[in-house]
Amino acid sequence: MKSRSRTVLLRSLALHAVIVPLALLWLLPIWMMIVFASMEDSAIFSAEVQLWPGDRFIENFHELQAELDFVRTIVVSVVVAVIYTAASVVLTSMAGWALARYRFHGRGLVVSIILGTMTLPYFVVVIPQFIMVARDFGLSNTWIALIVPPLFNSLGVLFMRQAFTMMPADLFDAARIDGVSEWQIFRHVALPLARPMLAALSIILFLHSWNNYLWPLLISNDRSMMTAPVALGSLFGLLDVSWGGVMVGSVLLTAPMLVVFIFMQRFFMAGITAGAVK
Amino acid sequence: MGSVSLEGVSKSFGAIKVIHGADLDIQDGEFVVFVGPSGCGKSTLLRMIAGLESISHGSLRIGDRLVTDVEPGDRGISMVFQSYALYPHMDVTENLSFGLRMNGNKAADTSERVRGAASVLQLDSLLARLPKQLSGGQRQRVAIGRSIVRKPQVFLFDEPLSNLDAELRVQMRVEIARLHHELGATMIYVTHDQTEAMTLADRIVVLRAGHIEQVGTPLALYTDPDNQFVAGFIGSPRMNFLTGEARGHVDGRQAVVLSGQGDAVVEVALSQPLPSGTPVSLGLRPEHAQVGSPGPGTFTTTIDVVEYLGATSYLYSGTTTKEPLIVARQGVHTDRAGDQVVVGVPPDKAILFAADGTRLR
Amino acid sequence: MRQRTQTAYGFLSPYLLIFAIFWLWPIIHSFYLSFLSTRRQPWSFNPGMTWGRLTQDPAFYNALWNTLKILAIQVPVMLTLATLLAVLLNSTLLRARGLIRFAFFAPVVIGEAAYAAVFRLMFNDEFGIVNKTLEGIGLDAVSWFSNPTAAMSLIIIAVTWRWVGYNAIIILSGLQSIPQDVYEAATLDRVSPRQQFLYITLPLLKPVIVFCLVLSVIGSMQLFAEPYLITNLGGPGGATETLGLYLYKQAFLNLNFGYASAIAYTIAALAVSISILNLWLGRERS
Ligand SMILES: Nc1ncnc2c1ncn2[C@@H]1O[C@H](COP(=O)(O)OP(=O)(O)OP(=O)(O)O)[C@@H](O)[C@H]1O
Ligand SMILES: [Mg+2]
Repeated sequence: MKSRSRTVLLRSLALHAVIVPLALLWLLPIWMMIVFASMEDSAIFSAEVQLWPGDRFIENFHELQAELDFVRTIVVSVVVAVIYTAASVVLTSMAGWALARYRFHGRGLVVSIILGTMTLPYFVVVIPQFIMVARDFGLSNTWIALIVPPLFNSLGVLFMRQAFTMMPADLFDAARIDGVSEWQIFRHVALPLARPMLAALSIILFLHSWNNYLWPLLISNDRSMMTAPVALGSLFGLLDVSWGGVMVGSVLLTAPMLVVFIFMQRFFMAGITAGAVK
Repeated sequence: MGSVSLEGVSKSFGAIKVIHGADLDIQDGEFVVFVGPSGCGKSTLLRMIAGLESISHGSLRIGDRLVTDVEPGDRGISMVFQSYALYPHMDVTENLSFGLRMNGNKAADTSERVRGAASVLQLDSLLARLPKQLSGGQRQRVAIGRSIVRKPQVFLFDEPLSNLDAELRVQMRVEIARLHHELGATMIYVTHDQTEAMTLADRIVVLRAGHIEQVGTPLALYTDPDNQFVAGFIGSPRMNFLTGEARGHVDGRQAVVLSGQGDAVVEVALSQPLPSGTPVSLGLRPEHAQVGSPGPGTFTTTIDVVEYLGATSYLYSGTTTKEPLIVARQGVHTDRAGDQVVVGVPPDKAILFAADGTRLR
Repeated sequence: MRQRTQTAYGFLSPYLLIFAIFWLWPIIHSFYLSFLSTRRQPWSFNPGMTWGRLTQDPAFYNALWNTLKILAIQVPVMLTLATLLAVLLNSTLLRARGLIRFAFFAPVVIGEAAYAAVFRLMFNDEFGIVNKTLEGIGLDAVSWFSNPTAAMSLIIIAVTWRWVGYNAIIILSGLQSIPQDVYEAATLDRVSPRQQFLYITLPLLKPVIVFCLVLSVIGSMQLFAEPYLITNLGGPGGATETLGLYLYKQAFLNLNFGYASAIAYTIAALAVSISILNLWLGRERS
């Protein structure tokens, strides 16, 4: 017995000797974000290695705000992400419900389309999307352009289909016997029961929109309608830029998501693993 | 009003046919029980009556209305599921009233009906609870309450009691019988439980592999089954089947030689004589086999196992052979495994089946 | 279940409408575009200027080669790490689970722009913490942004940092779905932990790992933001220019939509064939 607990202890020690330093290394970029965001540029680009935050966060924020109206771009990002999330949750849960709970002609086709687009690179659609939205519809720098084209997403549908499939069928049959319409069953029985799954999906969709880079970069280049990541990225190539300010932007983009991640880890994991369960 | 009539009703799932042209007439107010082995199509048939499964061929009438293609909610039926199917996010009141609310029923009438159902089922003190805060029996009562609230002409039950423990099952069985009596509505009930079927049913429908084998009162099925399948299915423990061969036929009695039991000869009432040598199967219920002394129409067998149940005991013999035999014995006795007993076949209780299972009368 | 075609399409229609407008039509349209010369108005049918050009464009071959290099190095490294990480996180021996989970999973929520910025600073040739550390332990500083090989490594490091946790989460969920009693039975049969990992865990994880592999391959084929943001549009001198970035330049800087569409279909064809190959390699024995 004693020797057994000894080997377990040794193994545990060896394990931690590897994993803990690696974890700290992985945390370093996040930590450095905070450090850089609170330092003067002269300190960032100095011969000494700084590992502890300074006290210049507010000043750096003001510099960022002066370079581009960053608060405004954050507002744009929030509005886009909120509306996108709400609309996408509605669309994908309706579609997921249909695929989970009805037998109908063309069901196999719809499922293969959804699975197929999962493996299809976005580049195949982005060019005509851009031509259509920017040139044909003339919708550059509009809310619609930022929100609507990304609405199609296969992960959400598969996730909600899975959620609805796992619910006991008797529940919906009981409602049908009660003379409840299909829409009411969806709205008053299925959706309330799917609340945890809807929360998980919302987090993933929000994150998706919040971090989306390519499409907003293409479609929204006007200062007043730029999303925050695009605005931040636009500073990188400039010669005379406050890197402390840029890092403040990074922190402001990252911190809310980290908080969501910490407090809603379970939902978050559920959202990510959704695709893996077919 | 609450009559149900099926005419040539069949069901296929893709290429698999699971119900083969069922014809059945159920009277208003009748209590009909579907029984049959697992997978024979009881639930499917019930769900077709409910409208949850479409009817591939044939027609269905409820009352005098043709409802073959009518939505479940418009058929004037209600259903109680084995899983109860209570809405987990609604309390008992909301569960009971959901259907009515969604259909725009007047609030006053809805709460009136909910109160009515709650008092019939003694749910009054539970109205604010969620399903997960209820015991199995209470959930079952809510599920029944939900079907009462609709004031249906026909109640459908799919194994409603099979998730309950034995004692509650008896209690709820009595409750359902009482409800049937009070409401006077038609009830169609699927079960695996012999006792439920025998005690509740006005008539029992025996299904096998999608075919209706026999329809009749519990007593008729027990005493006068149409075929070997029904005979074996109704009654517990199941009927013994002894292989035999027809011999002479005298005075409305057919002599049968039991080849599996030392060529004992028994005589069984039979109107049509059988050609000598016809293979037959002799059905004898355990409770009809008599343990006694040697004589004509008896044979001797060795007991393998004895089950003492109190008032009754079951003696098992031939458990390893092709022809196991169960004998029920009343009262106190001293039979033990290894003992030899003499079993008598009462000629008016035994029945005969042809080799293909059809009843010989 | 009754057949309810109308109801089903009622629920599906908003979703399918978006699909038709913003995916189906573009998929067809970009195929059509890939045969058009779009250098100047009016656009005209001229596959020589698109597909023809593709076969002899050194910049395209460079981007393709870079992408395949990233794919061949980054994906196996990341998936191995992710698998080990998932196994560690699933081990009962592990303490400080919260810290470790946070460390590896947090990058998953960080956007490309935000992390590109910090990587640019950390890997700064002259003042970055990475080179300072290298010098500190007596090694030479690396020119992360001007040496082609180093720049490529930087992209690989960044992508691995960002995505290893994501894959570990998926693999971990796969691990957790393996019933515990399998291991108990194996332990009773005196199967060592290492053998258990090799002969029980890995085979049972195979479908999940193949799923991650397919996702990672598709992701790598589309790599765009990292070389765009970290190495200044694929620098130095195109050393980190990926197919995605080259397509972006052709389409949205040169406005040569036809040629870019041909590149897009090439990416799609590659991604699909590599995915199919993966799925075929990972197929279940039946
Ligand atoms: N949706 C379906 N698709 C294909 N086959 C089905 C479907 N539903 C039922 N079946 C088949 O139809 C037959 C009858 O099933 P049903 O559920 O009616 O049996 P049952 O008599 O209620 O059985 P049990 O006593 O086990 O509840 C079974 O063979 C079953 O496999
Ligand atoms: Mg059933």
